[in-house]
Amino acid sequence: MSVATATPVDSPAAPAAGGRKGRGDRGARWGALGFVSPAVILVAVLLYAPFLYTVVLSFTEYDGLNSPEWIGVENFTRFFDDPALTTSLRNTLMWVVGTTVVPVALGLVVAVLSFGIKGGTWLRLPFMLPYALSGAGLAVIWSFILQSGGAANDILGALHLPGAETSFLQEEPWNTLSMIVAWTWQQTGVNALLFLVGLQSIPKEPLEAAKLDGATGWSLFRHVTWPLLAPLTTVVVGLALVASLKTFDIVWVMTQGGPGRNSETLAVTMYRDAFVSGEYGYGSAVALVLTLTTGAITLAYLRRQVKSREALG
Amino acid sequence: MIRRLVLGAMGLVWLIPVYLLLVNAFRPSTQYDADRIWVPDADFGFFDNVKLAWDAAGLGPSILSTLLYSVASPVAAVVVGAMAGFAIVVLRLRAGFWWFILLFGGTIFPIQMLVIPLFISYSSADLYDRRFGLVLVYTAVCVPLAALVMRSFFTGVAYTLYEAARVDGASVWRIFWRVYLPLAGPALGAVAILEFAFVWNDLLFGLTLSQDESVRPVMTALSSLSSAYSGSTVPVVLAAGLVMSLPTVLVFLGAQRIFARGLTLGQY
Amino acid sequence: MSVRARVLTALVVAASLALAACGGDSGDDGGSGGKTELKLYNDKGAWSPFFEDLGKLSKEQIGIGMTPVGYTDEPTYSAFIKASFRTNEKPDLFTWSTGGRLEEIVEAGQVAETTDLWKDAIAAGDLSKELEEAYTYDGKQYCVPLNISYWVMFYNKKVYDEAGLKPPTTWAELMSNADALKAKGVTPFYQTSVLFSFVWFQQLLIGTNPDLYNKLATGEAKYTDPGVVAVMERWKQMIEGGYFSDAGSKEDPAVQLKTGKTAMGIFGTWFNTSMTQQGLKPGTDYGMFTIPNVDPAQSKVTMAFESGPLCSLAKAPDTKASTDYMKWWVGQPAQEKWANSRGDVSANPKVAIPDPGLSAIAKSAGGGEYTLANRYFEAAPAPVLTAALDAFGAFMVKPDTYQKQLENIQKAADDYWKGR
Repeated sequence: MSVATATPVDSPAAPAAGGRKGRGDRGARWGALGFVSPAVILVAVLLYAPFLYTVVLSFTEYDGLNSPEWIGVENFTRFFDDPALTTSLRNTLMWVVGTTVVPVALGLVVAVLSFGIKGGTWLRLPFMLPYALSGAGLAVIWSFILQSGGAANDILGALHLPGAETSFLQEEPWNTLSMIVAWTWQQTGVNALLFLVGLQSIPKEPLEAAKLDGATGWSLFRHVTWPLLAPLTTVVVGLALVASLKTFDIVWVMTQGGPGRNSETLAVTMYRDAFVSGEYGYGSAVALVLTLTTGAITLAYLRRQVKSREALG
Repeated sequence: MIRRLVLGAMGLVWLIPVYLLLVNAFRPSTQYDADRIWVPDADFGFFDNVKLAWDAAGLGPSILSTLLYSVASPVAAVVVGAMAGFAIVVLRLRAGFWWFILLFGGTIFPIQMLVIPLFISYSSADLYDRRFGLVLVYTAVCVPLAALVMRSFFTGVAYTLYEAARVDGASVWRIFWRVYLPLAGPALGAVAILEFAFVWNDLLFGLTLSQDESVRPVMTALSSLSSAYSGSTVPVVLAAGLVMSLPTVLVFLGAQRIFARGLTLGQY
Repeated sequence: MSVRARVLTALVVAASLALAACGGDSGDDGGSGGKTELKLYNDKGAWSPFFEDLGKLSKEQIGIGMTPVGYTDEPTYSAFIKASFRTNEKPDLFTWSTGGRLEEIVEAGQVAETTDLWKDAIAAGDLSKELEEAYTYDGKQYCVPLNISYWVMFYNKKVYDEAGLKPPTTWAELMSNADALKAKGVTPFYQTSVLFSFVWFQQLLIGTNPDLYNKLATGEAKYTDPGVVAVMERWKQMIEGGYFSDAGSKEDPAVQLKTGKTAMGIFGTWFNTSMTQQGLKPGTDYGMFTIPNVDPAQSKVTMAFESGPLCSLAKAPDTKASTDYMKWWVGQPAQEKWANSRGDVSANPKVAIPDPGLSAIAKSAGGGEYTLANRYFEAAPAPVLTAALDAFGAFMVKPDTYQKQLENIQKAADDYWKGR
């Protein structure tokens, strides 16, 4: 059987949720389960199951050595009374807003600007390189830039901008903001790559039609490209949302959540309580709250996106 | 062209940290001075730094294993993820949205909490300190992203393609393997590249689920260089970091070609 | 394209399976004894090359080889080791910390007793009696010292010479040296707000009231006691007097000392490695001296030391091999190689240390000339330590808040000690 080319004939929207009767293909129904099962099994056994262990632990007091002691919801009441929680939440919120907006927008800009032009690959390269660095590598370079008297201070001083004396890693909220800048530097390329996938899958017909109608540049983007990019935008923002709520590596290596816990995020609080203080039960409770929050926010976002697309389609 | 200028300018700004990295990784180990980080050193110390890092961290044996993990797991994950995306979108799996959420949910767990239970189960299942064990867990971690992107991608493919192929009498598997998978080439490539970088740079799973030098991924050795007791200098740490990022950079460069072909198809 | 892709995929899959199948298990069969290869789990990943050298030496000398399994993140390492006790992946040997953390696993009945080993070693002159206490619980000893470092003041000799200064013998001399350096535009002391933020607290307190310092570790004294508050006030005065470097700087302390921007810094003797790696020579470029007591009325100088234990499990895979290894470890041949390859002192007083400065300190400290105080990092219980490190970091950014910071630490201490 020859491979049909990729030019679809009609509108590309295929409904995401299944359950439509009548469209025959009962053989495919079982096939569908078969197709989805390897993914589900892998994820369920290696990701969900260990997390279940954490859920159980969150109702106990456990030092990692002796048996866990059931204490009901005490960990949770303690968590909500914890004074460090306010700062942690505030910082996490900054991360969420920061990383779902700026790196995503910049990634989109890079993708759109570099799509289809000659040499686009090379122009994109500076943005891709940062992702090649490991989390620790990223933190080493940016610590080096952001430290008191480091490159950032040098540049700001040379440009006569305020901040030549600021201790970026010590003072809040500058430390969180600077780390968000470092993160943006790395993530923009990733987002650009994903947006490129989206741009590449946009069919030519609606674009040609709009061009014939006289649309160009910004209005072409706004009315045709952007809506058609929606599935990928959902993915990119969804992933950024999840990643921002789980922010850990970069904060841990750059400031350890300090000084005085003022740059902690929820994931850092979780790690400290579980591993550094050795209170695995309490840390698990923090982890559970963090995960449920992440899950709820993301679910709400995804449902909205999928629903609004179905309304369009 | 305005586009090129804007992109070029942004690119230059983006390269500033890379410049600092290069200048200081090339600096001889004992010449590092925080007051002169912008100025390249007349002496080229890069290879010495790498050797120092190599000896201090014992990087050799783990590189082959890490290569295995970074290639095998993403490849497996994109195929498995594409199958899931295919099932949800093209095969119209019942309650497809919820299966999608289930897979997406795989990304929300904080991995620090997963490693200890995984260690305990791995050791009872005799998967601890085995390459297969690591390949499995990396694949599981990579599947959600792959499933997500593939689902989005397949949403953009006309259903009539599937219908026509079924009418022609092709089996579902054949349609997937011969039509949809090749179609998704660039998308698969993009996801695989990102996941290559992710697995290559992983530290936590490698640290807790393996111990033998030939099984452990390379980042575990590298991280020992930047700890307080290491006594390694900044240029050495940076040089090591640079060398360790090279494979990923090469993969990006190489894969960009695959990309470029797919991308010039869709112009506007 | 399709056929090629399929072939390629098949090759990749086949190769992966083949490589994955070789699990990577290279060790011997272990089992019921007669082990000749031991795995030493440690959280000092950076010391792997040194461990490996010792492994080769032990193979030659006692027929038991050793491979290190290094971790670099201490909290993760801790959780991992504790979890391993319940699995089949028990460590043959592992490093740990003295103080509350050791007590925890001893109380859980996990650690092998080494009372006889210590008795023999002290009798043979391989270990000093001063050290024994940190390894004693309920009258019995557990584990042996992996390493020992003394905390001293490192200084840039060239900067000192230019200012016409000599290593001080009293606190007053130390401060006048600092003043002279300040006048020349050199920052006298190094300080950091992460990980080692406790250093100056520790030093000022053991130099005024070592008894109070020890009582803090056992919960008998409070952080809000006047003696502790006085230390914070002195510290605050020093910060405000411009005696310290920028606590937020991520710049390597060894580099700061090397360039002479900062003249002195308090570190463990293991810091020697960092200095020599920078190309500095002991005796000509830099030196170290014992830090005099703040309070001259104290009879003996109190010096902080850190000593990490090397432990084996009560239910180790091969208890005899592990115990034999530890016996060898404290002996002179092992210790000589161990200390000298790292450029640090040894727990074994018989070891000859080439560096004269280091050797002098080792003799005085190991010979009982100084009172030894366990490093704050080990002395303070884990939750108290975490609270304290946060508090000290915050204090450095805002020295005025010292009272509040002390109260925060005390709150954590109260939580920890109630019901113990």
